[in-house]
Amino acid sequence: MTDIQTWVNASSFASAGIAIGFGAIGAAVGEGYAASQAAVAIGSRPEQSGDILKLMLVGQAVAESASIFALVVAMLLLFTQQSPHLINVSVCLAAGICMGFGAMGSGIGSGFPAAAACVGTARQPAAGGRLMTNMLVGSAVCQTPAIFSLVIAFILLFTDFSDRPLSPTWAAILGAGISTGLAAIGPGIGGGLVAKASCEGVARHPANAAPVTNLMLLGQAVTQTTAIYGLLISFILIFRIFPETETLSRPMALLASGICMGLGAIGPGVGEGFAGMAAVDWLSRNIRAAGELTRTMLVGQAVAESTGIYSLVIALIMIFVF
Amino acid sequence: MGELGKIHQLLIHLGGYTATLNLETMIMTWIVLTCLIVFGFMTARKRALKPGPLQVVGELLVANLYTLTEDAMGKELARKYSPMISALFLFLLLSNWIGLIPVCEEPTKDLNTTLSMGSMVFVVSHYAGIRAKGLKAYLKGYFDPIFFMAPLNIIGELAKVVSISFRLFGNIMGGSIIVLVITHLCYSLILPPLLNAFFGLFAGTIQAFVFTMLSIVYISVMVN
Repeated sequence: MTDIQTWVNASSFASAGIAIGFGAIGAAVGEGYAASQAAVAIGSRPEQSGDILKLMLVGQAVAESASIFALVVAMLLLFTQQSPHLINVSVCLAAGICMGFGAMGSGIGSGFPAAAACVGTARQPAAGGRLMTNMLVGSAVCQTPAIFSLVIAFILLFTDFSDRPLSPTWAAILGAGISTGLAAIGPGIGGGLVAKASCEGVARHPANAAPVTNLMLLGQAVTQTTAIYGLLISFILIFRIFPETETLSRPMALLASGICMGLGAIGPGVGEGFAGMAAVDWLSRNIRAAGELTRTMLVGQAVAESTGIYSLVIALIMIFVF
Repeated sequence: MGELGKIHQLLIHLGGYTATLNLETMIMTWIVLTCLIVFGFMTARKRALKPGPLQVVGELLVANLYTLTEDAMGKELARKYSPMISALFLFLLLSNWIGLIPVCEEPTKDLNTTLSMGSMVFVVSHYAGIRAKGLKAYLKGYFDPIFFMAPLNIIGELAKVVSISFRLFGNIMGGSIIVLVITHLCYSLILPPLLNAFFGLFAGTIQAFVFTMLSIVYISVMVN
């Protein structure tokens, strides 16, 4: 029979693997897409290759940061000694899952604006500086869901859960990790779509750069709302102290609330990204329709988000009623 | 690393209740407020037709924020709400930047600050909605597509407060955690200034701007 310390160590190794294994997926896809579009851009305009290459590398560096967050969490899981308490098995797993899945969406998403900026420079070399700014802003906002996952992973690793009752707390912690981790996937990709449209828009019509960037920020911010619902559920699950229970139904309800919110946030994130993408795209073509486009985008995103709100309601019911 | 998650708190016991004050957050908030008041006083002190350097900075900030508000709300409302919007933006901007100074901590790293800002925007936007549409039309908005959607509409409204305040809090908190941890891992060599520039200056500016934009949009959505 192995002792508790062995179980905790095994769990932290496994979670380090999960964190960087899943965390490596997204950024690689995003960076590859950026590189492919940079190749397209250089093919059509070889004399701009220096600028395009620079833009591609900067964009890829930002896209990579989601994976670097996952790397940091994996290193911490490997090199910090967790105390021998059974709850830490769950804590390590939750932190790993949270950061691993959380890095996926942002990595893919922030590849899109880098790609669009490379193609845009080839089409409109004079807009290079504005494109760079716009791309940096867009891909930095794309990182927000990954940063939320990082916050939850760190709170999990550095909070002392050893005085809480084991029975429902292990499920609450695991649910908290899954909730923010899965909820970050959709909004990361969706935010990337909006940023991509805005980079295309700035290249198409550099004079409209300011309103296009503003609408992009708005679209991305609303797209991230469901990731924030995931964060909220995680916070409730971490900081609420649940009374001890013998039955299995209570832990399962807490675990399910995390899964429910996490999965429920993926669809609205991508969907709201589509709404924002089209609105930003057409704003750059027709600046006079700015008011209508903004309103339509916001209403459309609010409707697309309603399924995320259903998940939030069910998750809250599972935490507070059952 | 041991400092992570530790909060200096002052507990005040008042007749059965305990008031908890986060000392660092309060001191930093007051520093930010003092800086802003001094800045405002300095910019407006020597007003002239040919502006001095400080006046130019002040005018640029106010004029740009006013245009931003006017684009979303229209002329009449912008005159009313742009002072609040400008103050909100400058406060959040300086709050996010103050973490660059070694001993200082961002007040926005504390959920209490962002949640109170979010609640303020919530109250102001609903007040503006009631003023513009009248109480009856305002209440009717909750039963919009069909009457049984009312609970979901109300949750949707409350979720706005959560989303606007957790977004700012999560980003600033995440940024400061990353700076702290990576600084620790690389023994404070080379990386910290770059990280501070990215997460403090760049991301801090963007997040302050996003918060301000969302506040403008929330108000204008309630009014129209």
